Amino acid sequence: MFQILLLGSALAGLLAFLAGIFENEDSDAGSASNPNSQVQLAPQIEHLHRYYNKAIAGEPPQNALWAALAATVAYILYTRIGLDPVPGVILGAVVGALITAILQGMYGSLAHISRIASMKNFKQMLYWDCLLSPLPLSMAYTFLTALCLTLLSFVIHGLLGSPFPVPLIAMFLGFTLGAIASSTGDVHYGAERLYQHYKFGSGIAISKQGDIDVKGEYGYRNSVDTPYFTLRFGGPVTGLTFGLLIFIDALSRISGSVWTSVILEFLIIALILIVIIFLEKYTRNRYGPFEEGK
Amino acid sequence: MDPVSLMLFIIAGGVLVGICVHFIPASAVGAMSASTGIATGPSMLSFGAGLTGILSASFALDSGPVAMLASGAAGSALMIVLTILGGNLVNAFGTGVPPVSGQTASGQSLLGSSTKDVITGWEQKPFVTPGTDGHGMPAQTAISGIIGGILGGVGGAMVFLGVHFLIVPISQETAAFSGMVAAGIFLINCVLPAYTLVGKTEGLFDRKMLTIPKTFLSCLIVSTFLALIIYSVSTYASMGAV
Repeated sequence: MFQILLLGSALAGLLAFLAGIFENEDSDAGSASNPNSQVQLAPQIEHLHRYYNKAIAGEPPQNALWAALAATVAYILYTRIGLDPVPGVILGAVVGALITAILQGMYGSLAHISRIASMKNFKQMLYWDCLLSPLPLSMAYTFLTALCLTLLSFVIHGLLGSPFPVPLIAMFLGFTLGAIASSTGDVHYGAERLYQHYKFGSGIAISKQGDIDVKGEYGYRNSVDTPYFTLRFGGPVTGLTFGLLIFIDALSRISGSVWTSVILEFLIIALILIVIIFLEKYTRNRYGPFEEGK
Repeated sequence: MDPVSLMLFIIAGGVLVGICVHFIPASAVGAMSASTGIATGPSMLSFGAGLTGILSASFALDSGPVAMLASGAAGSALMIVLTILGGNLVNAFGTGVPPVSGQTASGQSLLGSSTKDVITGWEQKPFVTPGTDGHGMPAQTAISGIIGGILGGVGGAMVFLGVHFLIVPISQETAAFSGMVAAGIFLINCVLPAYTLVGKTEGLFDRKMLTIPKTFLSCLIVSTFLALIIYSVSTYASMGAV
């Protein structure tokens, strides 16, 4: 029992780490979270852009539905096909994630076209290559996210022993991951990638909002370049946050006693709080107070 | 437990969920490092934390009510504190701005004219980028977030517990059904405070804490209504009417 729980915790942590990275890159490639306000604002201040913008739903519910769809298909296939558990789950998860990716592609195309069309009054053009080049990338990231979350749900249900059914766990995890990715990794996209023409650490005053960087390494910037930048920091931080959450939560229950798990989790929370305070001290010392004009 | 106490559990849990949203520092403009708080809407973030709490509580389903509530609180608080750490890491190394409270710096928080962090005592004003309302999550907002996570986790677990034991006599798949219903009640109570918070709060020391009575009342009305529906369905079903 102890070994199964240990294996389950390690596997869950790894899958959660990967799902975190992929989900964040999907949302960055498609401007899917809060930074979409900047992409939407840009044409209104005469910054015509070539970003892929599929933000017509909040990131958490959107991701929850992708994960729930993939897990439902996977669970149905797994119970109906009659294969052995491991190949059955993997096959089901791949088929479920494929269906999710196709649906996300249809959703993304229509979302982008309608988003850009709504900016017609500000002379924003609908460039087909700006839709067709990042779309397969975004679909691939959705496929990987849905696959990881489905496998993670099977691990939590099967190896760790959650009483919830697999699709419900997938929906819960999808929502939590969407909330985490939207509040950690997307800051790297919204506050740094979109404003790369401003000096690092100069901050984004409200008056600068909408003045996004429309030029890229090779002429006009395309969203297909975005994950190349955010994968270096924003994605791994999202993966680390979600991976740690699932790993610590699973590992704390390894003793089998609920109270040991609760005490361990609160000890870890206290430890993380100390790290947060040290990080605050470090950044204050490193960057110093804001100096006008520098 | 008798059905009426379980119904009261659902109502109290729903109200706690509504109040927890006030404690969790969140702001959508935070995604551009232009406002203090976790960079997403308060309602969605609280719901994400609450679902982690319900998932944690489900593991303790057979260990008694107190263990379930504690497990839910630990799960939610862990999610919030890790998100604060992740958000601060991105602000520190991805964007290059230190965590600082905008409202405290401008002297408009509940702390009055003090411009210092109440936990660490560090001065906030010089570190705010002009033209923004702060950035990141300083110590006082992190503590507030943890309190919010604990309240939300306890609230979510209470709703889950209430629904679970109300439908035990009428259903085989109680865990799945009560998980779904608890998530639904959590979402409704999470969204209600959005009308008083208007997309942004810094948590415990934000002036919007003064609007808690409005949230309390609206969540009380909605949770009572929902609890009555679940109570009636379970009562009539156990009598063989449904």
